[in-house]
Amino acid sequence: MQLKNVIESPCGLRFMLDELELQSGYARRWLLDAPMMTHAGEIEASYAELHRFADFLQQVDTPYINTLLHKLCGLKDIRTTVRHLGQRATLDDIELFEVKHLAILAGDVRTLLEQHGMGGVVAIPDLDEVISILDPDGMKIATFYIYDAYCAELKDLRSQMRQHPEGQDDLLLQAGELEEKVRMDLSRQLHPFAGAIEQAQVALARIDVNVARAMQMQRMGLCFPTLSHDGTSQFEAMFHPQVKEALKARGREFQPVDIAYGTEPTLITGANMGGKTVVLKTLTLCQLLFQFGFGIPARAARIAVKDDIHFCIGDDQSVEKGLSSFAAEMKNIDAVIKASRENKKLLALIDEPARTTNPVEGTALVTALLGVLAGRDMSLVMTTHYDIESGNARCLRVKGFENGSMDYRLVEVQDGEVPHEALNIAQSLGIDSEWINKARELLMAVPERGRDDNH
Amino acid sequence: MEVRHPGRISNRQSCERVLPFIDEILKHDSLSIVGLEKNTGKTESLKYVLDRLPVEHKRIAVTSIGIDGETVDQVTRTQKPEIALREGMYFGTSEMHYRQRRLVSELIDVSDETTSLGRVVTARALTPGKILLSGPSSGSSLRRWMRDMRQYGIDLVIIDGALSRLSSASPAVSQSMILATGAAYSANITTLVQKTAHVVDLVNLELTCEDNIRLLSPLEKGVWCLDTDGCLHDLNALTSLSQELHFDGVDHCATLYVAGALVGTFLDKVRQNKSLRQAEIVVRDFTKIFVTPQQFRLFIKGGGRIRVLQRSKLIAVTVNPTSPSGYVLDSDMLCGKLSEAIGLPVYDLLKNNRQ
Repeated sequence: MQLKNVIESPCGLRFMLDELELQSGYARRWLLDAPMMTHAGEIEASYAELHRFADFLQQVDTPYINTLLHKLCGLKDIRTTVRHLGQRATLDDIELFEVKHLAILAGDVRTLLEQHGMGGVVAIPDLDEVISILDPDGMKIATFYIYDAYCAELKDLRSQMRQHPEGQDDLLLQAGELEEKVRMDLSRQLHPFAGAIEQAQVALARIDVNVARAMQMQRMGLCFPTLSHDGTSQFEAMFHPQVKEALKARGREFQPVDIAYGTEPTLITGANMGGKTVVLKTLTLCQLLFQFGFGIPARAARIAVKDDIHFCIGDDQSVEKGLSSFAAEMKNIDAVIKASRENKKLLALIDEPARTTNPVEGTALVTALLGVLAGRDMSLVMTTHYDIESGNARCLRVKGFENGSMDYRLVEVQDGEVPHEALNIAQSLGIDSEWINKARELLMAVPERGRDDNH
Repeated sequence: MEVRHPGRISNRQSCERVLPFIDEILKHDSLSIVGLEKNTGKTESLKYVLDRLPVEHKRIAVTSIGIDGETVDQVTRTQKPEIALREGMYFGTSEMHYRQRRLVSELIDVSDETTSLGRVVTARALTPGKILLSGPSSGSSLRRWMRDMRQYGIDLVIIDGALSRLSSASPAVSQSMILATGAAYSANITTLVQKTAHVVDLVNLELTCEDNIRLLSPLEKGVWCLDTDGCLHDLNALTSLSQELHFDGVDHCATLYVAGALVGTFLDKVRQNKSLRQAEIVVRDFTKIFVTPQQFRLFIKGGGRIRVLQRSKLIAVTVNPTSPSGYVLDSDMLCGKLSEAIGLPVYDLLKNNRQ
């Protein structure tokens, strides 16, 4: 799975990528094409590299960073040109220019990084020979044409062209033939460097991505995660950057949440508007950010590597695809159950399953789902409003509505009994009292109706 | 040597051979050349200017916007001209046209932006020779290209404007402009003079006062009223076209600012409203005005004033008396009548070149 396959996940990954200040379009494409890391060693190495860049950015001054960013801004996508070179094609002037431009850029960036002992962090191949092939006058400027120095005859023809602009056509034709010979010769000389040029391009993209990630960590207050090897994940003061920003714009603050989950199912219950969905979104986001090597939105995080991540949220885009919300949800959860039968480390985050159907069948579906998945070797975090038999599940509850305001923190409770706060919350929203009072009366008449339905 | 009489420019003078506007061009850092219609001689004007600029001591860059791409115009089947560049000139064109160049040039940059003819390539001519110009495809990418040109120490950027699209001559893009008109725009001299004079009137609209420019420039949309006390009121209309737009409760209006397009119906509404008689209408620049010559004349005749926040310097008007259908107008008569109508010299460059 590549980043581009999950970028539109409703967990808010797109926001993180949009907020990543990459200098070049090529680095963005390279990042979107990056596969999700599923090996602990790979993830560790990626964060070690990012750590070096974060430390490095702390040490250097603003003019230096600006110079580096300006250089990275010049990185172009020349994959087509490199492919031509690899295929022994004759490059045209624009392609030769691109190669020279990249070679000079790579040298400049390498020199800049070496100044601060960062030379070996991301290895940039030495392309000095490429530069000397394309810079016969030793000008060290990233411009290009078929220089006079390549061919004495060409030089003569060109001086004639300057002297007799009117009789140019014939001269141009002759010069064109000579230029083509030079191009063939240059392409032949450059062919052995195709691999190194490609590596240099990727290295520069990686540097761009690392610098952008490190700056994002600083700007958004993200942390470096530690790897968990026992299958459990733990987050301290976790937040959702996009929700946090939206709240900030309205003069409100995001209340960070502590949460941990292991390989036994975790059930989150709590009042409406208690932030349960945001918790699931954030957990999904954190897991994806972790496996694509970004900073984690939390004060501290210990995260287990997963092979497969499923985020099932009721209100996704499936309706646009013509499925009813119930059908879409069932299909998503069905995929989780099927995946749980494979021998993979699986993380499933399911938001209020079966919420759109009647409470009797809904409760049965959710209880059964928990029963089915509880026995599997996977991590499951699920939210619900239904009172269900929690069995072996760990139960967390949003603290809830207290003294007129919502406390979004999670507390561990013994069973999954759901709080009955909907009417209080509705009242605090100023909803018509005729309606709310009528509901209260009905509840008084049939006490604990919800629980009775379970049996 | 003839003596000039203010207000009365003779035919000979108006189509004079000594063309003083090259010096005028060099006072600005950018020039757009726009044609009111295809085959009004826009390319001739560009060639004329490029041939006469002092490349020896000025760095000149030339590009084009919104070019159709073929060497032969697909609509009228007339030959689409290559531009002759001189040694040392910088140019921006598409990859495709760069590959077809007929000169030796040094590549300086290849942009990330792609046009229908490939990416925009920037280069410097090392020998004289010919090139088809096809530069950035939108106003914003053109502005970016012009900004990039600054790092090469360019003194003057010349833009071969899009045909019948005056927006490429917007002062937001270039400081000065040359307007090409001719028989292709109208084969009737009187109509041609009227229609061209209208465009010239719009281009030459005066700047509003400095305070207004400072206050109104940041407003990017809507219709606003500035009262005599200097208070700004939002008229809550998206555009000057808005049906809901009304001036009830607007007292002591000194300035009406239309951030977007100014349309004729708006002018009529203002003209018919007694309390707005004294108000000055302000628009961003002349490319935002979409009114017929009649509406404009009526408004001005009734004492109305229109001012702009940004202004292009109209350096010259050139004419091509030949239409693509082969119809030829009398060059001297055309130059004379047009010159009289707009109060500026008018040049028939082809004729000047022939002589």
